[in-house]
Amino acid sequence: MMKAYHLFLYEYKHFIRSKAKVFAFILFVIASFYALYNGFNLQNKQQETLSSIEQKKQEGITKILSWYDQGKKGPEDRSWIDITTPFWALENTPTYSIKLPSPLLPLGIGQAEQYGYYKSVTTWSSVYDNDMVEELANPERLVNGNIDFSFLIIFLLPILMIILTYNINGLEKDLNFDKLIVIQSGSTQKWILLRLSFYSTILVATVSVFILAVALLNNSLTSEVFALVLLNTLYIIFWTLVFYFIIIKSNSSSSIAFKMISIWLIFCVLIPGAVHQLVSIKYPANYMTDYLDANRKEAYEIYELAPDTLSVRLKNIYPDLIKTKHGQDNLVDKEIINNTVSAITNQINKDAIAKIEYQNKIKNNFIASSYWYNPVSFVQNKWNSLTATDYTAYQDYRNNVQKSIDKKIELQVFECWNRKKVDKKTFENYLKILK
Amino acid sequence: MKDIFVNEWKGLFRNRVFLYLTLFFIAALAIVTWLGVIQNQKQIEAQNAAHKHIRAQWDEMKPSNPHGAAHFGSYAFKPNTILNSIDEGVNAVTGNVLRLEGHTQNDVVYSEASQSLLISKFGKLKPSLLFQFIIPLFLIFLAFKTLASERETGRLKLLLIQGISLRNLVFAKIFSIWVIGILLLLFATLVQIIFNVNQFNSNTILRLLFLISSYGIYYLIITSLTVYISVVLKNSTASLSLTIAIWVVWTIFLPKIAGNAVEKLSPLPTRVEFQEAMDEDRSKGIDGHNPSGDRKKELEKATLAKYKVDSLSQLPINFDGLVMQADEDYGSTVWDKHFGKLYKQLQLQKRNYQLSGIINPFSSLQNLSMGAAGTDMFHHLDFLKQAENYRRVFIKTLNDKMAFGGSKTGDWSWTTDNAFYKSVNDFEYQQPSLSNDWSKYLIDILVLLSWAIALLALTNYSSKRVSI
Repeated sequence: MMKAYHLFLYEYKHFIRSKAKVFAFILFVIASFYALYNGFNLQNKQQETLSSIEQKKQEGITKILSWYDQGKKGPEDRSWIDITTPFWALENTPTYSIKLPSPLLPLGIGQAEQYGYYKSVTTWSSVYDNDMVEELANPERLVNGNIDFSFLIIFLLPILMIILTYNINGLEKDLNFDKLIVIQSGSTQKWILLRLSFYSTILVATVSVFILAVALLNNSLTSEVFALVLLNTLYIIFWTLVFYFIIIKSNSSSSIAFKMISIWLIFCVLIPGAVHQLVSIKYPANYMTDYLDANRKEAYEIYELAPDTLSVRLKNIYPDLIKTKHGQDNLVDKEIINNTVSAITNQINKDAIAKIEYQNKIKNNFIASSYWYNPVSFVQNKWNSLTATDYTAYQDYRNNVQKSIDKKIELQVFECWNRKKVDKKTFENYLKILK
Repeated sequence: MKDIFVNEWKGLFRNRVFLYLTLFFIAALAIVTWLGVIQNQKQIEAQNAAHKHIRAQWDEMKPSNPHGAAHFGSYAFKPNTILNSIDEGVNAVTGNVLRLEGHTQNDVVYSEASQSLLISKFGKLKPSLLFQFIIPLFLIFLAFKTLASERETGRLKLLLIQGISLRNLVFAKIFSIWVIGILLLLFATLVQIIFNVNQFNSNTILRLLFLISSYGIYYLIITSLTVYISVVLKNSTASLSLTIAIWVVWTIFLPKIAGNAVEKLSPLPTRVEFQEAMDEDRSKGIDGHNPSGDRKKELEKATLAKYKVDSLSQLPINFDGLVMQADEDYGSTVWDKHFGKLYKQLQLQKRNYQLSGIINPFSSLQNLSMGAAGTDMFHHLDFLKQAENYRRVFIKTLNDKMAFGGSKTGDWSWTTDNAFYKSVNDFEYQQPSLSNDWSKYLIDILVLLSWAIALLALTNYSSKRVSI
């Protein structure tokens, strides 16, 4: 125990006397602050956008409420709008589905810049609409990526470890006094491992402080935060072991440095790149023709169907429609059918989207099956999953958008089929339901 | 100099590690290039299938109203070029599908990156990944102790006593290692040509030459920098550490920092801000004095005067078609204003990023590589512009049919036959010729050349003062 303590103390002195190592470490700390600043920046930008959307929504609601107060049926230049009918009341109700930025987003931007995070929900919406795309951004910047905190940990922290450890045992071999180590410490391997542990401990502590600080700042000290600390610790242990084996199998510090950087390239660039290429060969980028067909050709075919047929299809989707006023009528009201036909197109869209999500799921399973030989991608996706910025987090958001669309359509269909008259109170009730 | 060069090569080939590594690179390049070609062909096939599928739906259109057809619309699928198999640039993060319809200009959507979990932060294992990350490291490995080890073993003194000029020795070492990089590049190009022999045209060949030249200059920069450091520093370990540190800063750190910095220097609006500004101009009129209702009245007045009639019902044409086209023309002006501003901002960001090459030649290399492959932002914006131009012609054709095809104002049930729809041309993207566009990359070319010249001059200068 005392030996380990002395070795740690020796390594500490060695570390603080090495200007290059201290400089590299300070640079890493500065880069971490910069990365967190980028993350907070994106988080704030998203929050600002969401606030402006909320404001826009409130303005829309206030405008409609004022129409009810003034006894108006809609805007003066659009005489066909009548907000006393459920169809027009709901068509004009501003409804948004949003994904609040994750409190841990500063710790990992992940795929947050690849997806939209707000959506105006109408009865004609779908989760693959044009307005579900990502924020306006320079595509070349997206390709290069951000200096975000997860990038620092997953890709640059191993490089920092190389700078800090490449001359452990290498320097002794370069200067031909490595035999002295055997005499003094008994076991070179233990000596190397203890020296490596010193740096691993510093890095685990530094990164953990950053993670906990962000969690405290954003008031989200959740189990995900501790999982991130654990993941980071395991990741550093992984690289420590890899570097340990390189050190004991090499003859000079330049050989150690070269092998370390090569291993970094293999794990961080080549293997993920090869898996990426394999995935693209097996599952080329989807042009979404299933969805395009549903959204266009099949939707247009719906408009050509007779009201009777559409009525039956609507009842198939919502069996309880037979209990409504219109459902109990013998005659089919064409206007009611036309006003509720979006429920059928929504169903067609959902069926097509289920196929697309299934294809993406197969692709993701294939990616996950590579984790045993592609540990960096595993850590990256696990990290993004914990910061709620990965594909799954945005898939969950898409599911929420779909629920919101379903809710609005169902409300519209039943209200129309019940021939409801909408007044201010009913409209306010709609707002509560659609909240 | 020639003798030293030959001697260096002999020395390299006597080294088993070098031989194994070279063989490994040749095999890796062959496999990676071949996989790149396969992947690209599969993507092109998928794109062609989607394109045919959508076009067939258009060609099979039943007799219908042209305005209904404008709403039915079409799709433009972003095509992949042959050289996408070398460097895919921005293609994985930009969308692939653009809906072309009346009244609306849509965004290109469904990027590959949004269709799965994240895999690689550095892109797919394509030749560009090897060219940009691995081969430079290999060259560093070959060059880092080239002079330091001569000095450490005392061989340098022996060579100088024999009458060899130090300057010639240094340059022979630079060029002997540089040639290895060039040979690897040429090998990958040869594999590329073999697998795509039928699809090469003069533009592609020019692009390929441009790409090879860019990498060639970059390899000269990497080799001369490593040899220069080896000349200046006293031991090979310090030389390797410094060179690798520079490589890491150039390839990993600086591109991201520069990318973030240029976006902060000339920020883009948020999508909400952008859309609101467009919507406002679209509804109120581009100069704020021309509401759409007034525009319609003016058009009605002018049309009645032109046809010398008193009411719309007396017109021999369908006024609705004219209104829709006028609205399209107006929408196009709004689009040109806002997207023009956005594209200018993006181009400004690109220019600033190109200037970052002054401190990081890797940025210039990236720009030239993507540019030569036709996969950079310039080409992406060009695709969007061509698609929008097509949309305008496409919708105008339909609106003109509505206006002048024989229907009367208010007759929304009027239809035109399938032959008309079949006669509407399909969208075909024309890749711009590099011989016209090369000036967009002038900054990158100049920066890369300046780096190469400066480092060669510095090495020349240092070789005269090196301590033996």
